[in-house]
Amino acid sequence: MKKPLVAVTLAAAAVPMLIGVAALPRPGDPTAPAHTHVAAHYIEAGARETGADNRVTAVLLNYRAFDTFGEVLVIFAALAAVIAVRSPATPGGRADDMPGPGPGLPISPVVAFIIRLTAPFIALFGAFVIFRGHVSPGGGFQGGVILGALLVLLSLVLGRGAERPLLAVPLARWLQAAAPLAFTGVGLLGLALTGALLGYPAEPERHALRELMMITLDVGIGIGGAMIILGLFLEMRGD
Amino acid sequence: MRFSQLYNYEIAIFLSMIGFYVLVSRGNLVKKVAGLSMFQTSVFILYISMGVVQDGTVPILVDGVRVYSNPLPHVLILTAIVVGVATTAVALALIIRIKEAYDTVEEDEIHEQDRSF
Repeated sequence: MKKPLVAVTLAAAAVPMLIGVAALPRPGDPTAPAHTHVAAHYIEAGARETGADNRVTAVLLNYRAFDTFGEVLVIFAALAAVIAVRSPATPGGRADDMPGPGPGLPISPVVAFIIRLTAPFIALFGAFVIFRGHVSPGGGFQGGVILGALLVLLSLVLGRGAERPLLAVPLARWLQAAAPLAFTGVGLLGLALTGALLGYPAEPERHALRELMMITLDVGIGIGGAMIILGLFLEMRGD
Repeated sequence: MRFSQLYNYEIAIFLSMIGFYVLVSRGNLVKKVAGLSMFQTSVFILYISMGVVQDGTVPILVDGVRVYSNPLPHVLILTAIVVGVATTAVALALIIRIKEAYDTVEEDEIHEQDRSF
C-alpha cells in the first residue's frame, strides 16, 4: 500500500479524535460528568444495596447483570464458533494430514516438575480470587483466567492429545457452559423470589441467600471462563 | 497547560493510531489481528483514564476512605476485555482455516488465488 495514503488516513482519523479529547474534562476531575450521575449512586449505595463491598462486582453482577449475562453468552458463542471452524466435520474443515507441529518435543522435566509443584497453589489462588470476588479485588472472570492458565499449563504436562483429553468431552462441554447455566439458574431463582429476572432479594434476613447467589454466579463464570480458555487453546494447538 | 493534563487521552490516541497503522499497512492477517488488538487496548486505556478520580482509591469499600474511583468504566472494560479475548480467538481460528484453504495468510496472495482484484 502507498505510504502517503496511509499517512493521510491516519491523520484523518487522529486529528478529529485529538480535537475531541481536548474538550474532555481532565482525568481525575471529581466534577466530571462521568462521576456525577449513575456512578455516584454506585459509590454511595452500591455496597448497601447489593451486599458486595467490591463496587465493581456490585455493578457487574447486580446493576448491570444483564450485560454480564450477554457477555458470558458471547464468550460461549465464541468457543462454539472456534470449535465449528476447527471441526473436521465442517465441509473442508480440519484436514487430518495437515502439516501441523505434530506431537512436538517432549516437555522438559524441569518445567513439568515446576508446573506440578505450583499447580495446587495456582488453583488455590484462583479459587480465592473467585470466592472473595465480591468483597475484595477479583471476581469470576479474573479467577477464571487464573484457573484457565493453570489448565493450559496442566494440559501441556499431562496432555494426551485429542484421543485422550484431560476431561471427558461431554463433561467438558457442560463445564464450558457453566457461566450461562449459572446465570440462567440464578436469574430464574431471582424471578421466583422477586418477580424480576436476575433480581436479588433485598430483605435483611435473606442477605446470606443474596451473597450465595452472587458467589454462584462468580463460580459459574470462573469455571466456565477457565474451561473456555482451555477449550480455545486445545482447539487452536493444531494437533 | 491543558495539553499536558490530557496526556492519557493523547497516549491512547497515539496507541490506537499505531494499531490502525498495522491494520491498514500490513497484508499479513495475523499482524492485522495484532493491530486490531492494540487499537482495542487503546480504547481500554481511554476509558480507564476517564474513571480516575483525584486522590481516589479502588472502588472497594474500606473503612475510613471517602473518595473512590468510578467503578463503571472498570466494569465496562472488564466486559470489553473478555469480549476482546473471544473475538480475537474467533479471528485467529478463521485465520487458521484460511491458512488451510489457501496455504497463506498474506492478503494479496489470497486475492491473487481468488482473482478477486
